[in-house]
Amino acid sequence: MSGVFDAVVIGAGHNGLAAAATLARAGMRVLVVERAKTVGGMAKTVDWGAGAKGPEIAHLLYNLSPAVTRDLKLSLDTRSLPTIALSPDGAHAVMDGASLIFAAGGMHPQAADYAALHERLCRFAAFLGQLSDKPPPSLAGGLASLRDIGGMARLGLGLKRMGKADMREFLRVILSNAHDLILDELPDGPIAGALAADAVRGVWAGPRGPGSVFTLLYRMGQGGGAALPIGGIGAVTDALARAATTAGAELRFGAGVASVEVEADTVRGVTLEDGTKIAATAVLSSLAPLPSLHLAGAAHFDVETTRRARKVRAKGTVAKLNIVLKSAPDIPGLTDAQTAGRLIVAPSAAYVESAFNPVKYGAVSKHPVIEAVIPSLTDPSLCDGDRQVLSAVVQYVPHTPEGGWTDAGRAALTRRIIDTLAAYMPGLPELIEGKTLLTPADIEHLTGAPGGHWHHAEMSIDQLLTVRPMNGMARYAFGVSGLYLCGASAHPGGDVTGSPGPNAARRLLQERSA
Amino acid sequence: MNTHTVPIGLVPGPVHDRLEALSRAKSWMGWAGYISPAVLETAEFEYFAIRNQTTLFDISPMHKYRITGPGAEAMLNRMVIRDVTRIAPGRVGYVMWCDQDGMVIDDGTLFRLGDADFRLCCQELMYSWLLDAGWGFDVQIIDESHRVAGLSLQGPTSWSLLKEAGLDLGDMKPFDCRQVEPGLMISRTGFTGDLGYELWTGWDGAGALWDRLWAAGRNWGLRAIGYVALNIARIEAGFIAAGMEFQPVHAARRLHRGRTPIELGFGRMVHWDKGHFNGRRALLGQLGKGSRYSLVKVDIAGFKPAHGALIYHRKRREVGYVTSGVWSPTTKRNIALAELKAPYGTTRTDDLWVELYVNEEGRWDRRMLPLTIQDKPFFINPRARATPPGPF
Ligand SMILES: Cc1cc2nc3c(=O)[nH]c(=O)nc-3n(C[C@H](O)[C@H](O)[C@H](O)COP(=O)(O)OP(=O)(O)OC[C@H]3O[C@@H](n4cnc5c(N)ncnc54)[C@H](O)[C@@H]3O)c2cc1C
Repeated sequence: MSGVFDAVVIGAGHNGLAAAATLARAGMRVLVVERAKTVGGMAKTVDWGAGAKGPEIAHLLYNLSPAVTRDLKLSLDTRSLPTIALSPDGAHAVMDGASLIFAAGGMHPQAADYAALHERLCRFAAFLGQLSDKPPPSLAGGLASLRDIGGMARLGLGLKRMGKADMREFLRVILSNAHDLILDELPDGPIAGALAADAVRGVWAGPRGPGSVFTLLYRMGQGGGAALPIGGIGAVTDALARAATTAGAELRFGAGVASVEVEADTVRGVTLEDGTKIAATAVLSSLAPLPSLHLAGAAHFDVETTRRARKVRAKGTVAKLNIVLKSAPDIPGLTDAQTAGRLIVAPSAAYVESAFNPVKYGAVSKHPVIEAVIPSLTDPSLCDGDRQVLSAVVQYVPHTPEGGWTDAGRAALTRRIIDTLAAYMPGLPELIEGKTLLTPADIEHLTGAPGGHWHHAEMSIDQLLTVRPMNGMARYAFGVSGLYLCGASAHPGGDVTGSPGPNAARRLLQERSA
Repeated sequence: MNTHTVPIGLVPGPVHDRLEALSRAKSWMGWAGYISPAVLETAEFEYFAIRNQTTLFDISPMHKYRITGPGAEAMLNRMVIRDVTRIAPGRVGYVMWCDQDGMVIDDGTLFRLGDADFRLCCQELMYSWLLDAGWGFDVQIIDESHRVAGLSLQGPTSWSLLKEAGLDLGDMKPFDCRQVEPGLMISRTGFTGDLGYELWTGWDGAGALWDRLWAAGRNWGLRAIGYVALNIARIEAGFIAAGMEFQPVHAARRLHRGRTPIELGFGRMVHWDKGHFNGRRALLGQLGKGSRYSLVKVDIAGFKPAHGALIYHRKRREVGYVTSGVWSPTTKRNIALAELKAPYGTTRTDDLWVELYVNEEGRWDRRMLPLTIQDKPFFINPRARATPPGPF
């Protein structure tokens, strides 16, 4: 293919694809280059063989931006799932929106307090959610950090929905920790535990860590809850790929980028690992800042930028265990429909905090926090016959434990996860036909995300909003003229949101039309 | 007994014993932690020796960094504002480097010792910055500050003196540098605007080198000098000094104290077309928007040095200040370097006044003295550049 592309997008994860679709729909000639053989990045449905398909890494939608679905005209078939807070005593609870009941039926004593807390969190989260579909506010010249969120509010952003008292409360809690916020309203137990687990899923922090309120609200930006895409999470990236190609974008696979070409401080295109040169007037990288910087070369960035890029924190804490089952496991205390829900193993907020401790020292949690889902119960098309797939997101697992990953270490972790689940699914071990463990190191290897980090760059207060992923690079433009960051490391952050990609694309379009 | 006590206070430099013996004034100052002479005898004698004879000044307290490796040229080229590829081996370049906002971190001399071998001499501590700047490049960075000593030999008879010391450097052009003997490098550089050389040797060899020059200097009027005399010469030559004409931005604690090379009058030294260098994008922005300040050479009425004085337009509006001011004994003018807020100094250059306070036998008086902007250095003498130099 000869000629110059208006834009080359590096990576066909959901953000790269959403960026490409946005650009192609605006009439740009776009090429997406992906190192892997298929689209999806962290959001893929894979075939485990033996007649079972399931999500590889990400598995649920928490906060996909409705603006993205609308703008890119995605038609997605999703099922919203209730959250099941598993309780060691068998008194499991079902959290569905603001409602809280016992799985066995009957009023939950914390129902009213939970509903009030949920409603308040959703209101705050909506405010943050509004900030997601645009670049972070520019505080030109000012010191930028989350401390300025009050300043942002005063700038009038989204104040409409929040009254003065709410805003005061929002500012009071936003930098605080989820543990205290939750336990102010609820006794510690499975409900508090499930909320605490939601607050820290994917990040290097326990619920007592400052900033965990922010990450909780981030996840609840579209009302909280979780949805399962029919066809698996890969259906989302497939839909995005279709949106991109329909609009005229080209996708190329097995096309890892070796370098970004720069001349006279302007992007000229990319060179692939096989030596192919592709000319382009803009390059959008869905990789994190440091790998993106490496592709272009340190010489094209200011010293301060390279220093910050090196210091961006991205220590992954999440492993994935995918299990193929002969048949659906039985969970005493849950109906079949409830078994298909989002299953949370986090018996208390204290449990979640304790689970975080070992990872600080390079060790796996003794008692891991797990979010599990059996998507094939909701979407039988994933599996043949009675087979089921169980997808477990497991925290906390270090990127590399002391001494490195060994077969024994992997086996021990796998056993620990299965044992933890088996406490609620007694027959589980006998049902297992196959299993695949992905440690953060494996995830880094598969996707290129530093540290195998869920968000590509830690979602901590020093790496958010006007300083995401780093000070001076928060509005997608990445130093060199024509180079942009468009992945999870950019504002607003990770999860399958679809926001950073189109935000970056719009920045490029604005610059081109200016 | 603890034999590894960390010295407290200033420490002697490599030729301190020689200086101590010569010091009549006992006027010392601190320079990068070393005891350095402000004046050895009288500033006037020492100044006139710079312009009429030859002087010796210990510049060992300067920070010296060695940058080597296949990536050294590219690394330095990304760091400094001028094109390092145009500095050939055996040449020295005056360089400036900026932070990402285009504010000057420091200036200094860059010695290209080989294709992949450089030495950077500067005033400010720069090791950690160089390590950051070297990241991503195949380079090795060594702090040579305490290994390499430097003696600055400046004055019209310096070439003749070196010849007498057995070092004939008649073919050496300004900004040349070369290894003249094992362990001795000489560069035709200096801070006086006059004929002069800088001699670089190992820390422990500095004493012997001093003695060798001293012995050869008898017929050439050699005199050891301190900072005060040198400072007069450098202002005459129009050279800027860190901490005076600009505040090294990493050391500045207040916001907006940094200045760009353009504002310091070095816009022409910026090689825009060499590719990216630190602060380039910010500096390009300033080209578009215009500078906030300009550093100018000024001639002030009267003879009272105006160092630190405020400058006014129409005697009313404060528009800048004198960064360095001295009475110039050679040109017999009251000269200074001054910083003016834009547009003064560039498009508005008339009706500028310096405010001075004079003490007439116990009575203070405020004077407004007219100031005129000069475009050339105050002291220019062809002998500084003649090759071979004249045998004065
Ligand atoms: C274990 C785990 C579970 C998760 N579960 C969920 C979940 O249930 N719900 C949710 O919303 N979020 C989840 N996330 C987070 C979410 O998956 C990510 O934040 C999001 O998918 C990131 O999308 P992206 O497009 O920015 O980057 P990625 O999906 O990481 O895509 C980057 C792409 O770039 C490609 N690439 C890398 N290097 C090169 C190169 N040199 N040349 C070309 N291509 C290259 C990669 O192959 C990859 O396809 C999870 C994350 C993890 C780690």
